[in-house]
Amino acid sequence: MNPRKLFALTRAGIMESLHYRLGTFVTLFANLIYLVLVYYLWKAIYASSGVDVVNGMTFTDTMIYLILATSLFNFLEMFVVWDMSRSIQSGKIILDLLKPMKFRAYTFWSYSGSHVVSFIMTFIPTFIVVMIITKGAIPIGMNLVYFIIATLFALIVNFNIEMIVATICLYTESTWGINIVKETIVLLLSGASIPLAFFPEKLRAVVDYMPFRAVYDIPLTILLQKNGSDTLQGLLPMFGFQLLWIVILTAAGTLFWNYSVKKITVNGG
Amino acid sequence: MEKKKRGLRFYADIYRKILVQDLKTKMSYRADFIISTIGMIMVNLSGFVTFLILFRNFPTINGWDYYHMLFLYGFSLVALTPVQCFFDNNWNLRFHVTSGDFIKYCFRPVNVFFYFMSEVFDVKGLGQLAFGIGTLIYAWVHIGIPVTPLVIAKLIVFLLTASLFMIALMNAAAATCFWIRNSGYVMVIMFRFKDFAKYPSSIFSGVFSFLFTFIIPIAFVAYYPSLVILEPDNVPLLSWLSPLLGVLFFWLSYKFWMLGVRKYDFTGS
Repeated sequence: MNPRKLFALTRAGIMESLHYRLGTFVTLFANLIYLVLVYYLWKAIYASSGVDVVNGMTFTDTMIYLILATSLFNFLEMFVVWDMSRSIQSGKIILDLLKPMKFRAYTFWSYSGSHVVSFIMTFIPTFIVVMIITKGAIPIGMNLVYFIIATLFALIVNFNIEMIVATICLYTESTWGINIVKETIVLLLSGASIPLAFFPEKLRAVVDYMPFRAVYDIPLTILLQKNGSDTLQGLLPMFGFQLLWIVILTAAGTLFWNYSVKKITVNGG
Repeated sequence: MEKKKRGLRFYADIYRKILVQDLKTKMSYRADFIISTIGMIMVNLSGFVTFLILFRNFPTINGWDYYHMLFLYGFSLVALTPVQCFFDNNWNLRFHVTSGDFIKYCFRPVNVFFYFMSEVFDVKGLGQLAFGIGTLIYAWVHIGIPVTPLVIAKLIVFLLTASLFMIALMNAAAATCFWIRNSGYVMVIMFRFKDFAKYPSSIFSGVFSFLFTFIIPIAFVAYYPSLVILEPDNVPLLSWLSPLLGVLFFWLSYKFWMLGVRKYDFTGS
């Protein structure tokens, strides 16, 4: 596919998000308040436990993990499900389907611009604040590069999950319900609400095979250099896991979408 | 213009009529209704799982043991029910305002705030209520709080008090849409803060203790009101004052909301 076409979509997305700057600032501000909440809560939790390291996580590790998970959540958040249901209701989806481009690719690239903006305007400032508060507890080195690669993979996995859920919505006429089920499952099983390191072993064994881990836990584990991700032997299986799920979910999502799109009924539009 | 005095009965009657219409509409989308209910159950289950995992790793938090924390958790769930059931239309406010639909509420000869809120009754909130009551009773029995009419009366009064704070927060967050576009962020953030209501707010100190007590009053969504039941011998002054403060916060949020409505009138959109 012609890369110029794709970058045009990215540019349009960037311009659109910059138009809603206020939203970005509010998100950043909220991240900071959230940071305070997480800080006090986990400080109290660790203070009560009387030990410094629980399941291989120190207070600082946990805090960095949870705050950056929230920040990643804002960054990865796509409103594919909502947008799709709205464009089905209004009939706009017909115009998108008629575009000389695969619908899935079109959706992905139209969102890419807002990802770029939110990464620069909310993730990086939050990252810097976390660095200042923890007095540089995040190791700086090659792990940053690996983290960015892992985040890109996470983005694709997340997009695929979103697209599959949005496709389910074509059948159910329910947006809020399906979306909240997805969000809850992803947030819990990806480690965004509580680090996966704290999960009981049996649950952990199941969660480890699910794609959700690829979204938050793997990038953050790599960033914090946990679980042997500072060596190539530790790193490669994680990337492999992400890639495997990208392949599976992309294949499944494409098949599901191509099958379902024939069934869309649009009233009016 | 002649203004008739309207009592509570007049408003209760209208509320009942609008409610029936709303429920009829909801029932016509049965699949959506069922999926949304499942979604709500999932949200509560996931909150519960997070809680269990947390306590598996850390037996006490700031001197609060498992059952006391569970009590606080159940208390917060029950206290969050009214905002979910009766004030859910706040989430739609920004769409009505940007599309211009909101003007229809201003033309009815009833209170705008009342009419707007009465339009939606969220049945899903009842699932949360059941969850909350179950948790509360379970914790209650294990802590061994005596069951007397006085304690029950106190419980009801302070649950209602607690719910006022959350309603006030959401009203204020929703009303920001009269001034800023894309105010969805503000609501999402406020809604996320409620997750911290289930922790004892004694974990905060200094400026933030003040912030989370009097500016963003999440300390009142469960902590202060529940102390009346949990520690009857040692109730802080703020707990006794919470009903008054709750009414004050609610009144302020109502005034802020109505200020937005008046501003909306003037722009004449």
